[in-house]
Amino acid sequence: MINFEEEIEKFQPSPEIEQAEDVIYNNDLMDISDILKELIKEKE
Amino acid sequence: MVCPNCQKNISGNKKSCNHCGQDLTLYKKVLMASNMYYNNGLARAKVRDLSGAITALKKSLELNKANTDARNLLGLIYFEMGETVAALSEWVISKHFKPDDNDAERYINAVQENPTKLDGLNQAIKRYNNALVFAKQGSDDLATIQLKRVISLNPHFLRAYHLLALIYMKNQDKERAKKCLLKAAKIDVSNTTTLKYLRELEAQPSLTRSTETSSNIDNNQPSTIMPISSYREDKPNVMAFVNLVIGVIIGLSVSLFLLIPSIKNNEVSNKNKDVVDYSEKLAALEEKDTAIAKLQDEKAQLQLKLDALQQELDSIEEPNNNPQLYDPLFEASSLYMNELTKRERDRELLGIAEILSTIDTSQFESEESLQLYERLTQEIFPIVSDQLYDEGHDLYSAGKYEEALETLNMSYNYNSDNVDAIYFIARSYHRLEDYENARVYYEIVINDFSDSRRFNDAKQFLNSISED
Repeated sequence: MINFEEEIEKFQPSPEIEQAEDVIYNNDLMDISDILKELIKEKE
Repeated sequence: MVCPNCQKNISGNKKSCNHCGQDLTLYKKVLMASNMYYNNGLARAKVRDLSGAITALKKSLELNKANTDARNLLGLIYFEMGETVAALSEWVISKHFKPDDNDAERYINAVQENPTKLDGLNQAIKRYNNALVFAKQGSDDLATIQLKRVISLNPHFLRAYHLLALIYMKNQDKERAKKCLLKAAKIDVSNTTTLKYLRELEAQPSLTRSTETSSNIDNNQPSTIMPISSYREDKPNVMAFVNLVIGVIIGLSVSLFLLIPSIKNNEVSNKNKDVVDYSEKLAALEEKDTAIAKLQDEKAQLQLKLDALQQELDSIEEPNNNPQLYDPLFEASSLYMNELTKRERDRELLGIAEILSTIDTSQFESEESLQLYERLTQEIFPIVSDQLYDEGHDLYSAGKYEEALETLNMSYNYNSDNVDAIYFIARSYHRLEDYENARVYYEIVINDFSDSRRFNDAKQFLNSISED
């Protein structure tokens, strides 16, 4: 049985066009290569 | 391929970087895994498993953030789901990694080239956010209105369908909730939220009727399992073409049958009308000619009259130009006024009478002049006539019959009612043995003055003349 109150809390506001810049800058662009490089750096 | 360590291009299929010597074996495996996920995401996207595709493409990008194909496809999927900002973000990042020869640029331009459409998409997002606030506040009606508007602005906004379905479900409007979810399922067939809500609707035992309806709806959905009919090659349908040709021929025939007579009638009526018009115009022209001729005749007659009147006018002497016309009247009046100052027996009226007798009253235009003339003659002429009679009688008595006759005639002229003057004119002629004239004047006395004292004498003398 779905609880409306719980379910509605899962809905988040959709970013508007004016917020696109923030969305792009806040995007986590780290991939596995970046992680590996960091790991290699830490190992060295 | 770019070395992840020194960021330089590596040519060929080498296991290590030429520049920095970095071992690339693992890196190549990572790239291959990223591509594999991309392929998986692409395969899912093709069957509208958008949620699954998003998962695969995100995996692909976690392995290789520069996989522009995966990022572009992720942006397309976001755009298809109504997540415009997320889509644009992915395409912008994609362009950052690969500025040239990138489909992302085409996608961005396609969105930005239509500001109206972009504004509509942004409005949809804003209204969705408002609707979400209303829904969280419990204003379901307002939220429903906003969400319906959102869906009309962007029919692919998956989140709006979910929220609207949730509100319907809360309000026990299962039918509408299911319709929303089915629309959402058409956009993304494997969306977990859609499937969860649908299951929730089907699981409710009270929705027997709705489940029946849903089964009907499901039956109406295009099914992937279609009955296989026996193969039959399409043949060109000749009969349809023949029927078309026959229909056209019948149509033309009916048109000709119905239209030609009316067209001919119209032509004939037009010609008749033209003839009638021509005849009417001709008649009108003839009437005009007749009228012109008549008017010309009248004009000629009037011209003649005008000429005659002009001649008459020219022949008339204007009274103003003949001041002497009234002079005798004024003179007579003046003299008479002078005589009136004298005693009656001393008055000399004969000269005045002679002046008045010379006046031609026919040329008088003034009524007052005529009245003056009439008054003077009525007063003067009888007196003068009596005076002349007395003088003539004296001459008759003296035996001067010719002189008496002249004076008595003057007396008679001034007063034709002076019977004594008439009688002695007759007597004078009688004495002179001019019986013809004597008879005339005797008869005047007898006929016109039968009650006068001269009647009997005149009758006797007339008889004596007749006897002679």
